[in-house]
Amino acid sequence: MIAFNHVRKSFGSREVLKGISFAVPEGHILFILGTSGTGKSVLLKTIVGLLQPTSGEISVDGVNVVGLDEEELFPIRRKCGMVFQHPALFDSLSVFENVAFGIRKHEPDLSEKEIAQRVSQCLELVHLQGIENKKPGEISYGMQKRVSLARTVAVRPRILLFDEPTTGLDPVTTRAINHLIFELSRKLKTTSLVVSHDMHCALEIADHIIMLDQGQIVDQGSPAQMRESKHPLVQDFLREAIDGESGS
Amino acid sequence: MVKAAVNLVEDIGGCVLFVRDVLRTAFYSPCTYESICVQIWKVTIQSLPTTGMAGFFVGAIMTVQFTMQIKTFGALGYLGGLSTSATIREVGPLLIAFLLSGKVGAFTSAELGTMRVTEQIDAIRCLGANPIQEIILPRFIGIVISSFFLLATGLSMSIFGGLLLGLLFSGINPEEYLRHIPTIVSSYSVLSGLFKCLVFALILASVCTYKGYTAHGGAKGVGQSVVATAVMTMVGIVVADWLTSFLSETALKLFGGAGA
Repeated sequence: MIAFNHVRKSFGSREVLKGISFAVPEGHILFILGTSGTGKSVLLKTIVGLLQPTSGEISVDGVNVVGLDEEELFPIRRKCGMVFQHPALFDSLSVFENVAFGIRKHEPDLSEKEIAQRVSQCLELVHLQGIENKKPGEISYGMQKRVSLARTVAVRPRILLFDEPTTGLDPVTTRAINHLIFELSRKLKTTSLVVSHDMHCALEIADHIIMLDQGQIVDQGSPAQMRESKHPLVQDFLREAIDGESGS
Repeated sequence: MVKAAVNLVEDIGGCVLFVRDVLRTAFYSPCTYESICVQIWKVTIQSLPTTGMAGFFVGAIMTVQFTMQIKTFGALGYLGGLSTSATIREVGPLLIAFLLSGKVGAFTSAELGTMRVTEQIDAIRCLGANPIQEIILPRFIGIVISSFFLLATGLSMSIFGGLLLGLLFSGINPEEYLRHIPTIVSSYSVLSGLFKCLVFALILASVCTYKGYTAHGGAKGVGQSVVATAVMTMVGIVVADWLTSFLSETALKLFGGAGA
């Protein structure tokens, strides 16, 4: 379970998160929606200690992660897998080595054969095979995103954090990635937090949706509740989602 | 003006703390020898031809300059010694280090900066690894070793360049050119030159890894970190050149070393 309790984060004089509180029960898929620059990615990064909040508490399975140093954060990061906005693959390593990177760090006792098996399984999960020896620069952006997903799930995290996983992708790949998030979350029984602009996808696969605006939660609820929301920003997102549905 | 001074102090302090972290990591959780060797190979192969060529021409330029100066005194016999001494002790390490700062420093800073802005460094942290151990330490050690080797190679090439120009421009045969080198260039001068090379290599490795690692703000941020690397390295090298010259002179006086 992940719980935010009055979390605030400032960059200089600019306050990005203004007292955020919410909780995600185990096994749920939570979508955090909002316009650009509302602090969605910042919120996600504070969970794994990539950014430290100015005040408040963030608890991951009962452990407050605020103020922990890099070494103390290791067990938390071991539980959480993060998929970044960019694929963030290591350019100098092959696809195989990228996916194997985390496995080697987390489970140094595994044999090369076991690592190869795990890599193959993970690439199969994201419907990518036969590209193990290619470098990230030799595959498409959509494929890189999927390799990034494979790399994240390879360490068998119990919590998956997605930072705008479909940004910059075409509608077909976007749908495929969204489907993958749902599939992975259900198959691996993980708790998932997805930062996105995609209300259409959120309504389809989320258990709970949070709408952020200017660092504050302006509305939240189940997809059914959000469909009935009267908040203007939610209405805007819903209109976009309906346009998208009718367009496709 | 005050802001620039504060930024400079912050940069120097940040760099010192960063190097402390790198050294601490080297001591407590070292990287693999393989990753260091990869970096040494990469940096050396990238820069060997350029450094060799630069060294050759530095020696050649010094020979031409000294020829014009000492020809009037009929002391051309000392050309080899004077040219080599000036090259090894001052001009050679300085110019070759400038060249390396533009090539190795800018490349490393851009590479690390790109890794930072494309969240590769955050990904390393999230995957439970230490980015200093994984990507900084091998580059730091690799750059120090390769730059030292490249600077020494450049200096050797400068002797060859001076020798060749001595023959072609000044009409001094190679035997005559080489004969006075040991009388003017003592082993102390060579050691002093090599010490400078080591200090310059350390400055280069520290600044480019620090500026690359702390880059932020997308492509523009990477560009700024590359420019800052070039400026900071060159200023650092000039200051270190003065400092090492001063230290060398002091050591020479204290321990009574012979030669220029």
